[in-house]
Amino acid sequence: MKRQTSRTPLYALLAVVVIVIIVVAAGYYAGWFKGSSSNSSPGTCAPPAGGTIKGAGSTLVYPLMFQWESVYGGGTAVNYESVGSGAGITDFTQKTVDFGASDAPLSPAQRTALPATALTIPESAGGVVPLYNLPGVPTLSFNGTILADIYLGTITNWNNTALQTLNAGVSLPNATIQVVYRSDGSGTTFIWTSYLSAESSTWASMYGKGTSVTFPVGSGQPKNAGVAGYVQKTQDAIGYVDLNYALNSGVAFGKVENPAGKYILASVNNTQSALKDVNPTLPTGTGDWYNVSVLNAPGVTDYPITSLTYVFAYQDLSGAYGGSYTLTQAETLVDFLYWVVTTGQGYSGTLYYVPLPASIVTADEASIASITFNGQAVPNTCGSTV
Amino acid sequence: MDPTTTSPPTKARRSSGRWGDLVFLGLVSAGGLFVIFLLFGIAAILIDQSRLAFNAYGVGYLVGTRWDVSAQVYGAVPFIAGTLITSAIALAIGFPLAFGSALFLTTQAPRWLRGPVGTVIELLAAIPSVVYGFWGLYFLGPYMRTSVEPVLHRYLGWTGGFNGNATGTDILTAGVILAIMVIPTISAISRETLAAVPTSQKEAALSLGATNWEVTRTAMIPYARSGVFGATILGLGRALGETMAVTMTIGNHDAVPTSFFSQGQTIASLIANELTNSAGPLQYSAIIYAGVILLAISLLVNVVARLLLWRVLRVSGGSVE
Repeated sequence: MKRQTSRTPLYALLAVVVIVIIVVAAGYYAGWFKGSSSNSSPGTCAPPAGGTIKGAGSTLVYPLMFQWESVYGGGTAVNYESVGSGAGITDFTQKTVDFGASDAPLSPAQRTALPATALTIPESAGGVVPLYNLPGVPTLSFNGTILADIYLGTITNWNNTALQTLNAGVSLPNATIQVVYRSDGSGTTFIWTSYLSAESSTWASMYGKGTSVTFPVGSGQPKNAGVAGYVQKTQDAIGYVDLNYALNSGVAFGKVENPAGKYILASVNNTQSALKDVNPTLPTGTGDWYNVSVLNAPGVTDYPITSLTYVFAYQDLSGAYGGSYTLTQAETLVDFLYWVVTTGQGYSGTLYYVPLPASIVTADEASIASITFNGQAVPNTCGSTV
Repeated sequence: MDPTTTSPPTKARRSSGRWGDLVFLGLVSAGGLFVIFLLFGIAAILIDQSRLAFNAYGVGYLVGTRWDVSAQVYGAVPFIAGTLITSAIALAIGFPLAFGSALFLTTQAPRWLRGPVGTVIELLAAIPSVVYGFWGLYFLGPYMRTSVEPVLHRYLGWTGGFNGNATGTDILTAGVILAIMVIPTISAISRETLAAVPTSQKEAALSLGATNWEVTRTAMIPYARSGVFGATILGLGRALGETMAVTMTIGNHDAVPTSFFSQGQTIASLIANELTNSAGPLQYSAIIYAGVILLAISLLVNVVARLLLWRVLRVSGGSVE
């Protein structure tokens, strides 16, 4: 008992420290320290006074979304939670948010689960790159078949013949490949497995594409940071991360063969040109986007593993959310969406996201224009006049 | 709480005091009942949300060894096995260290050392699990991969349990991290129960000429045995439910582990990894079903632990936690 009394001050101190940390962290998330955003909105459009909207979903797009939400309308109009693409779709389906964000389009099952007609609006784009840890080995080249075989577990050693043939002159170690994948469901996994499915019929039939796939070999790490960190720490490892993450964190990654037979080291430029060249036939905003693919662009300099990321919004806002939804909310949402696909794209480059090509922006604007409130088009300041 | 209840006993005040008592009674019993309601509420929601998977698989879920999101086939064996094996490793490594430290502090350590060392051991419990996970991922994992696992493979490979690709993010590493995390729990409560051994018991042994070791062995350990067992079970409860540190070190692979070097998944890490991004209602429901299993195991383990501890500490009037 005496011991305990002598320990009490220490515990009290500890408790105070812990509480302070918790409060500061909570405050950080609540935006106490954001201050008034010094850089005002560069476009002419501004949200209606007092309007606030909520979004949830993709972590891939979060750095860009964070930038958007802190710039747009002085930083108070939009509140985005990066809870993950799947959770974002769930929140959107349950109508607890004004928009959902996901790196994978809605699957047919997810579409039927929606309570009302929703629009699929691509809001940014990116690429996925293979990174590996082989000290002293120069930049390696991969192709779709080899990447699929590594992830299928049919290629297990770095000095595999196919890999060696592709990288003639490079001395590859006789070492087991340590495969790493995303353990949490993620849009990055969706893009990666879409690519593997496109390149390998075995992969397509056995595992397919999805945000959450049961990988046959390897170990799972959470988030981009987990995969990149593991690869950097583990000799002989291979993993996949988003291009913007790889470029931001400076990890080395490999070249991938494109359909023109060239080996391309991903960059914002060759991902953007790929999106332009692939020119996918897009469904209408309310259509089924599940099979939209921007992989394997035909251009000689195009990077092959590219993808769009999406936001979802209900087309008839008053119908979907009911009477408590205000016109101000609707205006804020429509305004924000217009701003994101136009002015907002200007923020992509510095964060290593890929701006949308003009054809997709046009399609987006048509979708946003079809949003209604009480049967009427929603007035806004950012529309086609921008 | 109510200031009127401690007021001087004038007539008017006394009647308000009765009201105060009633309010107090109401508040306290509402609080107490609400906590019980919470437990049942949580269990009810979990069971309700797992209904889809329960209808699809029934009890067969408990013996299904395949978890394949692409094929929409779900079985819980990989995660039950991962959970039980990592917890077993945690106890196998953690218990001797924790019980040893408890014995050291109650019987051998000089009095001035007991407070500081005991506090430091308990401070292990104050480290957030994500920090353990970080340490496991960046230091322990690579160390296991390069130094520990090759040695284990060379000398114990013949058992079959230490074969395969040494990666450092596997069942074994997760078990070692858990071992460190259960030490403070087991050690602190073991110390309480060892300290609760009546002095008369020890003096009786001493008066018969017992040495220090003999006093410990004949008088203290038998007396504290069920308390120490209870402490171990409480530690087990912590290991079963630990999420963050395990998620960061276990490798998160949805398959039944075939060796200590296999990547695996516990029920807790499964929930952390896959729930928010589940590929559909069936997977979501199957994950919740796994959560129900974990809840059942944890409740059982904790009830057993409490019963054992209660039996020991009731006698001496000591308290746990």
